[in-house]
Amino acid sequence: MHNAHSVGTRWLGVGLAAVLAVVTLGLALTGRLALYINPESSWFAVGMAVLVLVGAALSFALPLGAEAEHGHDHGIEAVDDVHHDTHPAALAATVVGGVAASGVVLLTLVLPPASLSAELAMSRDVGAPPLFAGSDAVTLAATGDTASFGVGEWAAVFATATNPDAFEGDAVTLTGFVTPREGASEGFDLTRLVITHCVIDAQPASLAIAASAPALDSPLDTGQWVTITGTVNSTADGRLEIDATSVEPIDEPEDPYEY
Amino acid sequence: MKTAPPTAPANSASVSTTRTPRPAVRRAEPRPRAAGALVAVGVGVLVIAALFVIDAVAPNLFPASLPTRAEDGLTLAISVLIESLPFVALGVVLSIVVQVWVPPGVIERWMPRRAWARRAVLSLLGMVVPVCECGNVPFARGLLMRGFTVPETLTFLIAAPIVNPIVIITTHQAFGFSDGILIARLIGGYAIANLIGWLYSRHPDPDGLLTDRFRAMCALVTDEPGGRARRSLAQFVIELRAVMPALVIGSALAGAVQVLIPREALLAIGSNPALSIVAMIALAMVVSICSNVDSFFALSFASTFTSGSIVAFLLVGPLVDIKMLALMRTTFTTRTLAGLVVVVVLSAFAIGTVVNLLA
Repeated sequence: MHNAHSVGTRWLGVGLAAVLAVVTLGLALTGRLALYINPESSWFAVGMAVLVLVGAALSFALPLGAEAEHGHDHGIEAVDDVHHDTHPAALAATVVGGVAASGVVLLTLVLPPASLSAELAMSRDVGAPPLFAGSDAVTLAATGDTASFGVGEWAAVFATATNPDAFEGDAVTLTGFVTPREGASEGFDLTRLVITHCVIDAQPASLAIAASAPALDSPLDTGQWVTITGTVNSTADGRLEIDATSVEPIDEPEDPYEY
Repeated sequence: MKTAPPTAPANSASVSTTRTPRPAVRRAEPRPRAAGALVAVGVGVLVIAALFVIDAVAPNLFPASLPTRAEDGLTLAISVLIESLPFVALGVVLSIVVQVWVPPGVIERWMPRRAWARRAVLSLLGMVVPVCECGNVPFARGLLMRGFTVPETLTFLIAAPIVNPIVIITTHQAFGFSDGILIARLIGGYAIANLIGWLYSRHPDPDGLLTDRFRAMCALVTDEPGGRARRSLAQFVIELRAVMPALVIGSALAGAVQVLIPREALLAIGSNPALSIVAMIALAMVVSICSNVDSFFALSFASTFTSGSIVAFLLVGPLVDIKMLALMRTTFTTRTLAGLVVVVVLSAFAIGTVVNLLA
C-alpha cells in the first residue's frame, strides 16, 4: 500500500516532468521544437529539461517513501495524515486527476507532433489586424526593405499603411495556407499563424490574394499550403492586395509558423 | 513504512546533539549504500533512455491521427506544457534553495517588521526572482514552508507575475506608454496584491486558507531527516508531485476550452465600455497565456477593444487564469481561490473602468 502510494507520488511528479523533458529534448534534437515554442527560448527549455532529467535520475537514489519520511517520533501519524485522513471524494479526485494527467502526458509522448489546423486559424480570425511587433514592421516597410517580410509583417503593413501607394509594385514571394476570403466569390486569403512565444498565443495573419490569380487545374482546398509569387497592388478603394503571378501548391513546410 | 531506511530514526538524536557540519550518521554511512545509490541512479538513467526510445519510435507505430479538434486541443496543451516546464523547474530549484540551502534568518533579517511593510516588500520580490507565473507557485510554497505567513505569500504570488522586469519590458514593447496601459497594469497589479494580502491578513485563521494536504506536507518537510543533498532530492520529488498534475490538467483544460469556445462568442461584445471589460476578463481566464507575452496577444485586440478592457485582460490573465487556478489549488483551498478570483476580477473591472473614463 505504502509502496504503491510512493510509486504513484514518483510517477505523478518526477515521472510526468521527466516524460515532458524527454519530449522537449526529442523535439529539440530533431529540430522540431519550433512546432510548439519560439526558437528564441529553446535554450531555456532545453537547459531546464536536462536539469529535470538529471534530477529525475538522481531521485532514483532516494528510497521509495523517503520523501514522506519524518525525523521525529510523531512522524508516522503525520505521514498517515497525508495518506489516509483524506475524504473519499478527495481521494477519488486525486486518482481521476492523476489518470487524466498521465493520459495527456503519455499521448504527448507517443503521438507525432502536429501543427494547428486551418480550421483553428479561421476560428481565431476575429477581423482585428495583427500587430505583432508594434509598428516596427510598418516603419521598416516604408524604407523599402521588405525582403525578409513574411505573411505576418505584410498583414500588419496591409492593415495599417497610411500611404498604400508606397507599396504598390513591391515583389513578394510568400508561403502560407489557403483560407476562403470573406465576402468574395473569387480570390482567396493567404494565411499563416504567427507566434510570439508558444503555440497557444498563435494568431492568424491573412493577406488578400486578388481574384485574378492564375487559374489552377483544380480549385484550392481550404488549408492547402501554397507558395505564391506576385506583386503588391492597391485596389480602387484604397486597400492593398497581392496580384499573384504564380500559385504553387506545396506540402506543409517544416516550420509552419512565423515567429 | 516498510521501505524506510534504517538510518532514519537515529537521525533526530544525532542532529539535536551535534551541530557539526557533518553529523555522525553521515560519516558512519556504510559503503554499500553509496554503491546502492549508484546502481539506483544507473537504473534511473536506463529508464530515461527507455523514454527517449519510446519517444523516437512510438509516433511511427501510431500513425493514425486524432480528429482535428482534439488534435488542435492537444497541440495547444502540449505547447503550454513545453513552454512552462522550464519555468516550473526553475521555480522548484528556487524553492529548494529557499527551503534547504538558505540558512534560517538570512531572508528574514532583511524584511521590515510591520506586516504591511513586509507585504509591500514581498510584492516587489518578483523584480529580483526570475520566475514567471508557473514557477511562482512552487517558489511560493517554499516561502510558506520557510515560515512566511499565508497573507505575505499570497501578496508575493499575486504581485510577482506582473511586477516583474520581463513583463514590464514586453508590455512596454507592445504598448509603449500609450493610454496609460503599462502604468495601470503595474500599479494595478501591485495594488491588487497588497489589497489581497491585507484582506487575508484579517482572516481569523490564515492557516485555514491552506489545503490539509499542504499543511501536512509542511509539518513533514520542516524536519526532514538527512543531509542537504538528500533533503533537496526529497523536496524535488515533493514539489514536482504537487505541481505537475495540476500543470498538466490546467494546460489540457486551457487547450480544450480554446477549441470548444468560439472566440467570436466572446468578442462579439466588442467596444461597449463595460461589456468589453467583461469579455476581455473572460478571455484572459480562458486563454492562459504566460504573463511574459500576453501583451503582444492583447495588442491585436487594442484596435477594437477599449483600453480599459485591455488593462483588465493584462491584470486578470497572469493572476487567475485556468492554468494558474489549477496550480494554486495544490496549496490553497477552493474557498480561498474563489475569494481571490472575486477580488481580482472586481479590482480589474474597477481599474479598467477608471482607465476607460480617463482615456
